[in-house]
Amino acid sequence: MLTIDQVRARMKAAGIEIAENRLEMVRILLSNALGPVHALDSRTVRTVEPAVTFEAE
Amino acid sequence: MTADDAIAYASIAELGQRFRRKEISPVEVTSALLARIERLEPKLHCFVTLTKERALSEARAAETIFARGETASPLLGIPVAYKDIYDTRGILTTAGSALFADRVPDADATCVTRLQGAGMVMMGKVITHEFAMGIQFPGHRYPAATNPWNLEHMPGGSSSGSGAGLAAGLFAGATGSDTGGSIRGPAAFCGIVGIKPTYGRVSRAGVITLSWSLDHTGPMTRTVEDCALMLQVMAGYDAADPACSQRPVDDYVTPLRQGIRGLRVGVPRAYFFDGIEPEVGTAFEASLRELEKLGVTVRDVEIPSIHTAWASMAILLTEAFAYHERDLRERAQFYGDVLRERFQAGGLITAGEYVQAQRLRARLRAEVDDVLKSVDVLATPTMPATATAFTKVFDPSFGFPRSNTAPFNFTGLPALAVPCGFSSAGLPISLQLAGRAFEEATVLRAGYAYEQATEWHTRRPPV
Repeated sequence: MLTIDQVRARMKAAGIEIAENRLEMVRILLSNALGPVHALDSRTVRTVEPAVTFEAE
Repeated sequence: MTADDAIAYASIAELGQRFRRKEISPVEVTSALLARIERLEPKLHCFVTLTKERALSEARAAETIFARGETASPLLGIPVAYKDIYDTRGILTTAGSALFADRVPDADATCVTRLQGAGMVMMGKVITHEFAMGIQFPGHRYPAATNPWNLEHMPGGSSSGSGAGLAAGLFAGATGSDTGGSIRGPAAFCGIVGIKPTYGRVSRAGVITLSWSLDHTGPMTRTVEDCALMLQVMAGYDAADPACSQRPVDDYVTPLRQGIRGLRVGVPRAYFFDGIEPEVGTAFEASLRELEKLGVTVRDVEIPSIHTAWASMAILLTEAFAYHERDLRERAQFYGDVLRERFQAGGLITAGEYVQAQRLRARLRAEVDDVLKSVDVLATPTMPATATAFTKVFDPSFGFPRSNTAPFNFTGLPALAVPCGFSSAGLPISLQLAGRAFEEATVLRAGYAYEQATEWHTRRPPV
């Protein structure tokens, strides 16, 4: 889970201002979206291509 | 059922038959629906733009073709509404946003061209959640559509006007777009049918982007057969959409009546049942028993990394930010409350995180493909809950609930929503059937067999 301070640090780095009363909503949104990403040990995933091929054979 | 209701709720297939038999005319149907829209629109808020004169003109043209006895497209004279992110030449296309309040495209979206070319009658443009992502809060330039089953509840989104208008009998078919569930969610909440086809099966050209790699377009209707009829026209290669497949389009309509005996249905129990409303679970289990009666085998299946489907939101937010960045930095005040911050959140995701999310996507896709070697179709509840009350949705802290639909945007596989019950509060419940890439015909055939064995799709809301 991200902390509010981590969200603020990302805002500063990206040059994005977000209303103070929406920070908690953004924190939860990003925490949910990035949870699986942060849980990933990138060197243990067999599939390396960061893309999906949609064409059927 | 009144005579007005009989016209309003006639299926595309039924209207086509009655047109050909000259029992009723496209002008009569269009006129009746326009009167119904005038009566119900003040409480449903489905339309952004009503194209009344155009609808009557197109209905008259269709009537002329029927009068000549020419062989006609099954969509000729059928009233349709377009989600207001589909470009329509010379007609306002707002994406439900104040930012695009004056936007008038100079060309039709490919899907609009195809459906109009098949003779459909354009009733107008229907409201979408703003940029297919954020419900309009009170005071927004475009009010949110309401759910005909209970006006105090949302109709789902983002194809909210499409879902609500179909449930209320304002048109016979509609277009939707689906980036995380925006066709299937409103279909579920409004008790109608919608299919998100395989990524690349239907063109997105001329449809305002939310997230390039997750956006899908597709039809919404009141019956599975109608969905097949519209998809038949919408599907197919379009050079204007770089993701569009050149694979030939299957016949979606003829196989519907072949039955589903021997079909293998898999139920992924993990993730899709987390926090599910008990009545949704009960209706879903009953739908499995119904499928078994039709000769289907049902068994549980496992998708090991299904919980990584949450990462689809990381992709969606990043791509949405890429599309909106300039306006977010220069004209942020034009975005609706909460939506603005959601899009801004996409700018806080790093490039590395985006790439890792795409890698998780590739892994999940491979796992689901593997599961679909041993079963033909996956069945889940479309939504874990029934339609949400506005009082809850309009709380700014209301987040995105876990989604049963997003995994099939993440994997790009076709998924259908079909009514499978009602809660004790009278709100619709929906069954989701997903299949292998480009096997829309199988998914539709399963949905049709289930639909024909049940009566859920025949119920009408109290509007």
